[in-house]
Amino acid sequence: MKGNMLVMNKKNFLGTVCVAVALAAVVSACGDGTTRDAGWEFSRNMYDPIAYNPDQLNNNFKNNQTAQIPPVGTTPIGFERFEFENTPEDYQRAGTELKNPLAVTAENLAQGEHLFLVNCAMCHGAEGKGDGAITKDRFVEDSRGRRQLENFPPPPSYAKSTGSVSSRGGAMSDLTAGKIYHTIYYGLNAMGSHASQLNPEERWKVVMYVQELQKK
Amino acid sequence: MRNISSVLGRLAKSISISLVLLFAVTMTSNAQDVKEGAALFKANCTTCHKIDKKVTGPALAGMSARHSEEWLVSWIKNSKAMIDAGDPAAVAIYEEYNKMAMTAFTHLSDDQIKSIIAYVQDEEVKLAEKAASPAAAGAGQSSGANNFMIFGLIAILILAIGVVVVLNRVTRTLEKVIVNNQAAIQAAQASNESFSESRNAKFAKAFLKNKKLVGFAVLMLVALLAVVGWRTMWNVGVHEGYQPVQPIKFSHQIHAGVNQIDCQYCHGGAYKSKNASIPSANVCMNCHNTVTASDHYEGELSPEIAKLYRAVDFNPDTREYGSNPRPIEWVRIHNLPDFAYFNHSQHVSVAGVECQTCHGPIETMEEVYQYSPLTMKWCVDCHKTTEVNADNAYYDQLIEAHEKLKKGEKMTAAMIGGLECGKCHY
Repeated sequence: MKGNMLVMNKKNFLGTVCVAVALAAVVSACGDGTTRDAGWEFSRNMYDPIAYNPDQLNNNFKNNQTAQIPPVGTTPIGFERFEFENTPEDYQRAGTELKNPLAVTAENLAQGEHLFLVNCAMCHGAEGKGDGAITKDRFVEDSRGRRQLENFPPPPSYAKSTGSVSSRGGAMSDLTAGKIYHTIYYGLNAMGSHASQLNPEERWKVVMYVQELQKK
Repeated sequence: MRNISSVLGRLAKSISISLVLLFAVTMTSNAQDVKEGAALFKANCTTCHKIDKKVTGPALAGMSARHSEEWLVSWIKNSKAMIDAGDPAAVAIYEEYNKMAMTAFTHLSDDQIKSIIAYVQDEEVKLAEKAASPAAAGAGQSSGANNFMIFGLIAILILAIGVVVVLNRVTRTLEKVIVNNQAAIQAAQASNESFSESRNAKFAKAFLKNKKLVGFAVLMLVALLAVVGWRTMWNVGVHEGYQPVQPIKFSHQIHAGVNQIDCQYCHGGAYKSKNASIPSANVCMNCHNTVTASDHYEGELSPEIAKLYRAVDFNPDTREYGSNPRPIEWVRIHNLPDFAYFNHSQHVSVAGVECQTCHGPIETMEEVYQYSPLTMKWCVDCHKTTEVNADNAYYDQLIEAHEKLKKGEKMTAAMIGGLECGKCHY
């Protein structure tokens, strides 16, 4: 009787182990490896900086932001002021008064091209012909199914060969450096201001490259 | 009499034929106008205007109702001249759009402008038809859905009543059976209880007596705990696969993948600073001041883009910003401990590492997760195999310093950076 019992137990036991292993394998194979949970952390305070990160919540300020907007009228160290207003008059004034302070060199042009491709080409196109990726028909397929995305209104072409007109008068290929700089700084029509994304030197490099595209 | 009637008949015939011909001619010329207008509209107007929506300029639908054709032609040719001349309608538009003058299209002929107007009118009609038909279709659909739901509910109700009735009858029969066989059931219950009790006790006794089996069970338990513990401990602080819910369902698949917007357009810090930086909402607004995804929300603003508008306090109807912006509280995914220093620009600009090397196929992620473990082993493994690009002025200095050492020249600490503030004050 006892022997019988044990034989049965061993069988049961082995069976249980097999089932447990199989279950563990199945469970661990579940999911795509992503998790909503950050998991266990050891001494979380070693992850957090002692000083506040610029984008961190900060209860010391009224608006709970660490990065505060500088008081009106102040100029941060190393910051170059742009002394032209966003008006048609100042646009014309920038067009005549401002000159590109950078020399036209291969290096500046190469950097200008890179900055143009990163910051401008998705609308203006790699050659500035107003045929960037987001102005064309395109589709996405994701968890909400397949659908067409909205086309962004195409900007006019810079190229001389296409002869497009600027909405502020004159041919696009005749825009002066100052006018292009003014437009990068304030934006125009459907284009937003890119002043926060490009510093003055980078803007002038982009202007230099755009003036190359105008010749095409 | 006969004569007169035949003459009249002929006259009527010829008139009707000429009318038909005239109509056909005007129709074809109209179609041509619309076609030419469409091309001109695309080339000159779409930067600022949409037919059905106010963008930089006003929505064009209904413009022929608001202004005469003559007025429109003169406005499109040179709006500034009309404003300067003090035309009341022109000045009103100028004031409404913050004194932004429309481009003067002096190079367009009157006929060209008229064909643009014809195109806009044609689109207007199409729009009105579309507005009428989907509304009807939608209504039909929704009532269809309602009917379907009502029929479904009725079917479920009937089914439920049927089940209740059947179950009721089954219970009644069973109750009858129990009443008839009470004695037999009690006897069977008693014997069953005693049997199971004795069986469990016997099993436990036999198991505990077998020391080998107990030892084996304990060993297995310890091994299991050890494996689980080991794995858990190695994964403490490792956030690989972490995919938190973000406040806005921003899809990198759409923006970086389909739209081909460069990573650095939004994460502009990646090539020039320690942090890749989360874009401020004004960067989003560069496109989303016009892109509302309303095609997919029956002409309404997408709820996710609405969250962005709320964050920057932008009113899409007046197209003005308010004074009460509220930052978007994105949940940080990649978080290196504060004691480890990592610099994005060193990796992106100097080493030329692709974003995808560490962040994985980000352009296909509808929802971003952490692709790499970001452990020290992971960093070290890559640094062990990455070859340094020696075309860098930094290494020229290094080589120069080594040459000096080889020649036996004197070298002070100051010459190799010993006077840099950061060497002591960090």
